[in-house]
Amino acid sequence: MHVHVPGAALLVATIGFGATILAGPASADQSLARSLAESNVNQQYVVESVSISGVEFSRYRDSRLSSGLRRRLAGLVGAPCDMAAIGDLSAKIRSTLHLQDVREHLSRGSSPERVRVDFEIVHKDYSFDLSVPRFLYDSDQGWTTELNASARAHQQSIEVGLGSNGDDLVERFTGFSTRYADSHVFSDRIGFSIGIEGYHDLWNPATRRAVAAESSLNDSVAGASNSFALYRTRRNIAPAVTFALSRELSVSVGASFERMGMEAPSPSGGEMSMSANVATADVNFGYSVEDGTDLQRWDGRYGLRLATRELGSDYVYSRQYLSVRYEWKSGRRIVSDRMIAGMITGHAPLFERFALGNSSTLPGWNRYAIDPLGGDRMAHDTVSCGYQFQQGTAEAFYDAGIVGDGDRLGTLRHSVGLGFRQSIFNIAMAFPVYQGRIAPVFMAGMNY
Amino acid sequence: MGMCAFAVEYNVLRLAARLDGDVLHVSAPNFTFLNGKPLERLKDGASIAFIAQLTVSSSPNYVVPDARSVARFAVSYDIWEERFSVTKITDRPDQRRTVSHLPGPEAEAWCFNNLAINRSDVPTDKPFYLQLDLRVEDPRDQAGVIGETGISIARMVEIFSRPVREKQVHWLLNSGPVRVEDLRKGMRF
Repeated sequence: MHVHVPGAALLVATIGFGATILAGPASADQSLARSLAESNVNQQYVVESVSISGVEFSRYRDSRLSSGLRRRLAGLVGAPCDMAAIGDLSAKIRSTLHLQDVREHLSRGSSPERVRVDFEIVHKDYSFDLSVPRFLYDSDQGWTTELNASARAHQQSIEVGLGSNGDDLVERFTGFSTRYADSHVFSDRIGFSIGIEGYHDLWNPATRRAVAAESSLNDSVAGASNSFALYRTRRNIAPAVTFALSRELSVSVGASFERMGMEAPSPSGGEMSMSANVATADVNFGYSVEDGTDLQRWDGRYGLRLATRELGSDYVYSRQYLSVRYEWKSGRRIVSDRMIAGMITGHAPLFERFALGNSSTLPGWNRYAIDPLGGDRMAHDTVSCGYQFQQGTAEAFYDAGIVGDGDRLGTLRHSVGLGFRQSIFNIAMAFPVYQGRIAPVFMAGMNY
Repeated sequence: MGMCAFAVEYNVLRLAARLDGDVLHVSAPNFTFLNGKPLERLKDGASIAFIAQLTVSSSPNYVVPDARSVARFAVSYDIWEERFSVTKITDRPDQRRTVSHLPGPEAEAWCFNNLAINRSDVPTDKPFYLQLDLRVEDPRDQAGVIGETGISIARMVEIFSRPVREKQVHWLLNSGPVRVEDLRKGMRF
């Protein structure tokens, strides 16, 4: 068969069809890939096994590879070799694992009529990225912003960040952070990292007043006045080793050597510094189940920080933190719940204390109105329901939380709000639930 | 049925043409496109789409050719038999044609044989030029190639009206000027 397009008609075809036929339906492109796959002579063979870079896929360790994706890989085994499905999975693996490329290879199986499928993953050997991982404006508490530069060569990466954060702690801290990480120490299951940070700290007047009041109350209690001592600067060195126990579970152990330049002078009148040196342990858990259009995900984290005199610390305390998050996504609907709780025993410096009333906890509340010093006990829960509209998600949320010291727990507080999220950008209006009045707070930013 | 042939050197590639009854066919005896990276991908089990356009024009630097034939071939490689399979994907799905169990040169020859131009569309009163533009299909060019009625020839013509994309594997073979009379006489150039 041949196709003949006369010269005069060609011009019409080129101009006219250029505008109309070019914009074919999306399904047409899929059918093109399908037509290519259907013509593939290897579809007559049955897939014997599926591997990722030579490792049988069920033994391939990467927690980012969801159970749904693994199920789709398993679905290839025993079925006729479908290159369209293999191509789809290849693209899915590439986007999920953020790879440079994934190449599909067919090879002969153990007997005629059988083939093996291997997805060869190609990592980006070198990468450099400049990003703004966080940017937030809160009409009550001002700006929080971070700027990061990161470079990676094979398994080693280094990250340098600058930022000013008035959202997470009772203080506003401004400065730099650097972090070196090696994700392959003897094996892919062991990683090493070391972070170095330096910050200048600014204190809210409400915090200063509260510190003055607490200091006069606690002068007679050993260590208590240290807890509320204000500092001007913080320098921290934090090495850690991470063990990936399974795809879903990892454990990190390390240390943090934090040195603070205090506002108060030493007894001799010179500058005074204090140390909060801690041993750290973190357990991270992440698991997701994909079933058709439904996706469920669980994330959990438990963190322990233990400061002792043996580590040369001026503060002696333990800090425990627990976070559990569940998300259910079905079609365009998303429901999530996140519970966090924390407890400090002993006398910890102010940066360790828990604060509620920021962009992620009790939004709309001013944390200085709740507790200007933060608390050593905290519990908080947030529930959100969202609905996807094209590229964005509209959501409503409800928060409840309580923070306090020892047996002096404060009031259980609530807030509700509405937001819209598109990609990493968020915009929200939060309403703290006061008795008898509404005072909405506007928030806008990225990754909060 | 009469049959004549001519051949013209273009760089190191030879594009040959023959009149087979009322149809003009081309071949390129010293040319292979089932090699290099496309062949590597085929041996990994992938299907590769080649798009080809054969044009007849009165001038070597034509804007609009006198006649053209465009086709899209899906090629795959049987990893057990180590033979090629080629499917010509046409504008009507029921006219799709497939050959298999072919060694590389025969698979390539089959593609050339399926690019033909009616003799009535070839100028008889003046010399003409032939050009074969063969490309490995770029995924970005796939949008809109298949419509509700099948493969869109107009879309494929539009693809060939654009320059080759960067890194896109492609070949361009030319010949001419030649005359229909010369083809009838079997002259070689």
